[in-house]
This record gives sequence, C-alpha cells and structure tokens, in this order.
Amino acid sequence: MQKHILNRLKKVFKVEGDIKAPLRIKIVADKDLVSSILLYLKNQMGFIHLNHMSCVDWIEDNKFELVYIVWHPEQKQTVLVHTFIDRDNPVMENIDTIWDQANTYEREMREMYGIEFPGLVGAKEFILEDWQEMPPMRRDFDTKKYAKETYATRPGRENARDVRKEIMKRSGEELPEFAKKYSRD
Amino acid sequence: MIEKETTLYLGPQHPGITGNMMIKLKVKGDVVTHAETHVGYLHRAFEKLIEGRNWLQSFTLLCRFCVPEPDPMELTYARAVEQIEGRDVPPRAKYIRTIVAELARIQSFLLWYGGQSGSSGLYTLGQWSVGDRNYILDLFEDLTGARIYHMYMWPGGVRRDLPEGWVDKAYKTMDYLERRLVDYNKLLFDNAIFQKRAQGVGIIPKDKAIEWGVVGAPLRGTGIKHDVRIDEPYEAYADLDFVVPTYEGGDVWARALVRRDEIKQSISIIRQALDKMPGGSYYNRIPNPMKWTVPAGEAWVKTESVRGEIGFYVVSDGGNKPRRVHLKGAAYTHGVSVLEKILPGQNIADVSFILNSLGVCPPEIER
Repeated sequence: MQKHILNRLKKVFKVEGDIKAPLRIKIVADKDLVSSILLYLKNQMGFIHLNHMSCVDWIEDNKFELVYIVWHPEQKQTVLVHTFIDRDNPVMENIDTIWDQANTYEREMREMYGIEFPGLVGAKEFILEDWQEMPPMRRDFDTKKYAKETYATRPGRENARDVRKEIMKRSGEELPEFAKKYSRD
Repeated sequence: MIEKETTLYLGPQHPGITGNMMIKLKVKGDVVTHAETHVGYLHRAFEKLIEGRNWLQSFTLLCRFCVPEPDPMELTYARAVEQIEGRDVPPRAKYIRTIVAELARIQSFLLWYGGQSGSSGLYTLGQWSVGDRNYILDLFEDLTGARIYHMYMWPGGVRRDLPEGWVDKAYKTMDYLERRLVDYNKLLFDNAIFQKRAQGVGIIPKDKAIEWGVVGAPLRGTGIKHDVRIDEPYEAYADLDFVVPTYEGGDVWARALVRRDEIKQSISIIRQALDKMPGGSYYNRIPNPMKWTVPAGEAWVKTESVRGEIGFYVVSDGGNKPRRVHLKGAAYTHGVSVLEKILPGQNIADVSFILNSLGVCPPEIER
C-alpha cells in the first residue's frame, strides 16, 4: 500500500520520496508543486484530512523547511510533504482554499517565522500583540537577550543568588529553620 | 427579530474553557451571526524555549502545554524521541504508560463533567466530579510524586516503578468510580435541562467532519469511528480489549454520550492492564542527559488524548537539543476554524456550552 502511494506520487509529480516508518510516507517537492500535490492527494487519492503544518528554520542553509502532513481516513496512511523556501524571501503559496483550517497554521507561520502567504485572509496578529521585533520563532531571535533588554528585574533577582536571603537582608527577618536546609550556600 | 448587529466580546474569562480565550461575536438579538477566535493570553513561547534546552529538560515545559491533561504531551514526545533514536521500551513500561494515559483520560473527563454541567447551570455534578478526580490525583501523587504535572514518562520508559500497594489502590479507585458513574448518569444525562440544552446544539456535519479537521470525541459524536489507539496502536493498546463508542448526530449531546461511554472503557482498560502487568525492567536507561545526543531525523507521532488526536512533529539535527518541537493539539482546529464555522446561528448562552463540548484548551493553540 505504502509503496503504491509513493510510486504514484513519484510518477505523477516526479518527486523524491521514501517510506520513513510504518504508515509514514515522506516526499520532498519543489515549492511550486506543493499545492498541486496537496490538491491531488485530497481529491484523487483520498487524503482528505490535513493533520498538521509545520516549519523548521535551517538558518545554516538559509532555508525554511515547510512540512504538510495529510492523512487518509480509510487506509490510515500519512503523507508528509516537505519543501524548502528561501529564508531571505520567504513566500509560499496559500493553501487555505484547499483546507480552511490551513488558514490558522499560515497565520501563525506568518507571525512566528515571517513567511508571507499571498492572499491570506485574517488578522495580522494571531498570538502576539504589538510585536515590533523580528519574528520570534526564527533561530536568530535571542529570547534571553530580548527578555533582559525589555523587562526589568525584580530587586534581589539580578543574579543567581538565593532570593530569600536578599529579601531577608532588606526586611531584617530571619530565615525560618525549615528553609535553611534548602539554602544554596 | 432584531435586525441591528452588535459586537460582543466573550471572554477571555468565561466558563466554557480551562484557560483564557476571547471570542469576538457579532450578534443579532441573542443569535450569533459571526464568530472570531482571539488567542494569545497564555502564550509562553514553550516551543521556542524547548529549542534551547536539552532533550530531557524539555519535559518540564512540555507537560504545561495543556493543564487539564498533561500526560499525553509527555507520552507523545517521549515516543517521538524514541522513534528518532530507535530506543526500545520494556513491556512493563508500556503497560504502566497505558495505565497513566488512561488515568489521565478519566481525570480529564471528570473535569469536563464539571465544565459541561457548570456551563449549563448544573453546579452539583461539577462539585462531585472534581471531588472524585482527586482520587485519581492521589494515585498520580503516589506514583509520580506530583498531582498535575508528572514528568513521569521519559524516553526509554517511565521514571519510577509502581510503588507497593499501588495496584490495590488503583483497583479500589476504579471500583469506586464505576459506582459513581451511575450517579453522574442520573444527575446529568437523565436531567431534562441538560437534554434540552444539549440536543441539536452545536452540530458538526458528518460529511464535513474529517475535512474540517475534527478529531476525538467530537468526530466520534458524528458517527465516524476513528481513534488513534485502534488505528495506530501504541504502548499496550494492541493487547487490550476495548471498543470505541460512536453516536450519530454531531451535537453536544452525542459528544457527551461518547465521553460517558469512554470513561467506562478507560476503567476496563486500566483493569486489564493491571491484570496483565508484566514483570521486568521499567526503564531502558538513557545516557547522561547533559551529554545525550539524538541522531538527526524527524518523527510525526500521534496519541489519542481526551480532546482528540494530538501529534508532535519533532526534528533533531543530531545535537543535544531538539531542533524543532511542534505540537498539534486537537484544540488548534476545534477552537479556531471549527468553532468559527459552527457558532453562527447559535444562541449566545450556548457558546460556552459548545466550547466545552469541543474540549477546547487554549494553551494548546498558542503554546
């Protein structure tokens, strides 16, 4: 069954692919072919359920890897369609005309990775609010640095020292007996 | 009929869900004409933070993806890592994992009972079921040391073996819960208010359900039999006997009946797993976690949770930290696109009720 599905996709679209695990078929396709493959999988082969859409940032190769996961409810097979897009000019075809729910994934990817999907409907802000920095799920966004620069530290927490001791010093209180055994020094 | 359209913001705090999520409604009178989901109140960038932690440290964040049912997150991630690495899990660990997953299912169902009855004004049942849920949390505490977030299922098995006397306690708890289900039935399913509120409300059409991305109890409530435990059996499910209940109708009532029957199945699964519990090791030890590297590869692993199918897409670049961990929770489709499709035409008072029946867990959407 798996071989049959894979061979059919290879024959029709001339794509690379292999069988990764039981019930998992992986194909790697050119970005221009993806929507045709997904439409073919849905309308001709019965993969009517869009399971998942994901994005991986391969910053070393200057590429984003997009993964579309579709599922066949009778054959119980899953096909993972992989494609790579340029990281400097991340534009990908919008597929929410094939599956409505793809809209949610695409809005999230637009916000978190900065990938543009021409024709995508829906508010620009999905999860974040008033975000001015680079898309935060990109590998070069440094969460720690951002947090340090943006948020003020609560007094007594500037370093890794025991917070209770700092507070104790300020207020002049004694550390309770039971708490002493958990002290860091 | 009032013709003027008004905008109504429902949430972020309301009784329909555990967590915060806002729904922007357009209403005419008290009938919804348009709905739009707004999330972001619980965004904590877990997936980004996991990329900066090693494979084992990720577990402290993973289980917090969903408060009412954290265990399937651990289980699915552990299985994904095992699949990439090719690590075997001892049979005893598989049985223990099955029991924990099913206990998590029951406790989450009991919490759902509270939400579903509470959002229709029947508060007594909520008090009872949340009280009974504590007996399961007690079992968790004895087994894992924690009540809610367990971090118990690791790659290679589970963290601790069953403590002495735990099996007996588990049997007794199951007997008790089985007796209680009779009372729940009387209080909720025989209740005219609940029947009237639930029947014919929030219908998901059967012919569109799979295409819309509906999974879990809402899908089985439309009469479609799909359960990851049957379709892609994991852990010990292949050795155990259970049926997947389905009901026709696609409304809140059908979804509630599916969940009611599933609790019985879970109790039966736990009993069988306790009966058949194999001996031997419970943990295939991993190397020093700080130096542990997982070979380059990817995995897409699915688990049946209470809210429906959840999946983890995990990518390793061969290092000691995950390259990408991406959760697909059932709420990601249920809480956004499915909800926006089924709300128009419904009553404002039913919005929370429908939300609860879909099992929407907002932190799963924004992570």
